[in-house]
Amino acid sequence: MIVIDRLCYQSGLRYVNASEKFAYAVLSLVFCLVSRSVWAPLLIFSVSGILTVGKGGIPLFRYIKLLLIPAGFILIGTAAVIVNLSEVPLDAFAVPVGGWFITGSRASVFRGIVLCFRALGAVSCLYFLSLNTTMTDILGVLEKLHLPPLFTELMMLIYRFIFLLLETASSIMISQESRLGGRNLRTGLRSFGQMAASLLILALKKSGKLYDAMESRCYDGRIRVLSRENPPKPKEILLIVLFEAAAAAAALFL
Amino acid sequence: MPKKEKILLKASIACAALFAIAPVSNAMHIMEGYLPARYCVAWEVICLPVLIAGVISLRKKVNENRRNLTLIAMSGAFIFVISSLKIPSVTGSCSHMTGTGLGAILFGPSAVSILGIIVLIFQAVLLAHGGLTTLGANTFSMAIAGPLAAFGIYRLCEKLKVNRKVGIFLAALLGDLFTYCVTSVQLALAYPSESGGVFASAVKFLGVFAPTQLPLAVIEGILTVVIVIGLETYARPELKSLGFLGREKEAK
Repeated sequence: MIVIDRLCYQSGLRYVNASEKFAYAVLSLVFCLVSRSVWAPLLIFSVSGILTVGKGGIPLFRYIKLLLIPAGFILIGTAAVIVNLSEVPLDAFAVPVGGWFITGSRASVFRGIVLCFRALGAVSCLYFLSLNTTMTDILGVLEKLHLPPLFTELMMLIYRFIFLLLETASSIMISQESRLGGRNLRTGLRSFGQMAASLLILALKKSGKLYDAMESRCYDGRIRVLSRENPPKPKEILLIVLFEAAAAAAALFL
Repeated sequence: MPKKEKILLKASIACAALFAIAPVSNAMHIMEGYLPARYCVAWEVICLPVLIAGVISLRKKVNENRRNLTLIAMSGAFIFVISSLKIPSVTGSCSHMTGTGLGAILFGPSAVSILGIIVLIFQAVLLAHGGLTTLGANTFSMAIAGPLAAFGIYRLCEKLKVNRKVGIFLAALLGDLFTYCVTSVQLALAYPSESGGVFASAVKFLGVFAPTQLPLAVIEGILTVVIVIGLETYARPELKSLGFLGREKEAK
């Protein structure tokens, strides 16, 4: 139902130690953001892409389609950064409109290009993490980072409930659709609202029953699951350190 | 055709083609990697006190009655599901609700701040809406500022004895619009314009996002009213357990 969640269970890198993958993604993200040129993001983008598609075995077409999700935001946002409305033309381009100019400076065009690369590099890090690491593994890492236990417990419960509710919601929506519930805007909005209302009612009822079931199995605020241990491998750690050093150098000096 | 114009034409065709295939996500998330590092850190620091207060208030609720834990978790999952489903038959594009107004009205702003950040993490990791580095900025606009505005307007309308449906509609609509303004200001602060500074840049960002955001805010308002009316018709006891109807009596 959620493409990314389904893909990450098939990934070839799924059983690599989760802390390693988390560290790689977060460090690369940081170097992507502090970089002033396009080189560090470009390096990070290609390595993350190769790792995800080559090693992880995520289909290339899927990966490109996923990269297009934020494309709209990049286009609109960058247009707003580059294009200016001003009384004096700037040096890169200028289109006169009445007494004003739709214009931009060379510096801002350069900034916009760097911004695009930085955003793409960062998205590739995010995808590396989410396409190769299951949510339960990520939650395990968050627990190791000593977030408040209530917070991680809540995250874990919410993650499990999401699929429960999505299934209910999609079956309600299918039956609405088959009864012409999305015939026009008006009915569409009404059906969606009714679906949401009954979804919340069902969710609240389920939460009561779930608590009963959990309490009868001695629930005390923590679900303890034996997690599969994937010990970190020295070779992988060495490679990550080397790569991050290269990325840092590219980010700071190029 | 001069060379420059040819390049321009090609670029515009490429842009149009991209728009045709790219599923434009309309929700007002700042994408991963779009804010410079110091702004990411700054927004996270600003969110921290609110989140700590949220955790403390949730912990109190859970300690009162352990049953509240699954209730709160279900509410969080509900907000995620509602905000990830496409609204059918609203043009061809993918439009999503944000659920901020609904969440604030049903669960109160303190609970929504924590649920909001969890939902935003899941949206970033599972749906690639928003991102990990921009989590602070998105949390501030979508889980703190928007819900607070919606809740404030909802209570104000109650005090002023405005028609309930109108009050709920206004709360969700203005909560959404406020989120959108905050996001534009956040982007403008990070990328001030060369001719006119932060203010001109904010106007630009408001302008480019307006075509998608204004209709969405109206839809959000209508949907929130439909949902709350549906709930009040069928689920009075459940709403009481959320403290929704109880609060209302206090207000009266």
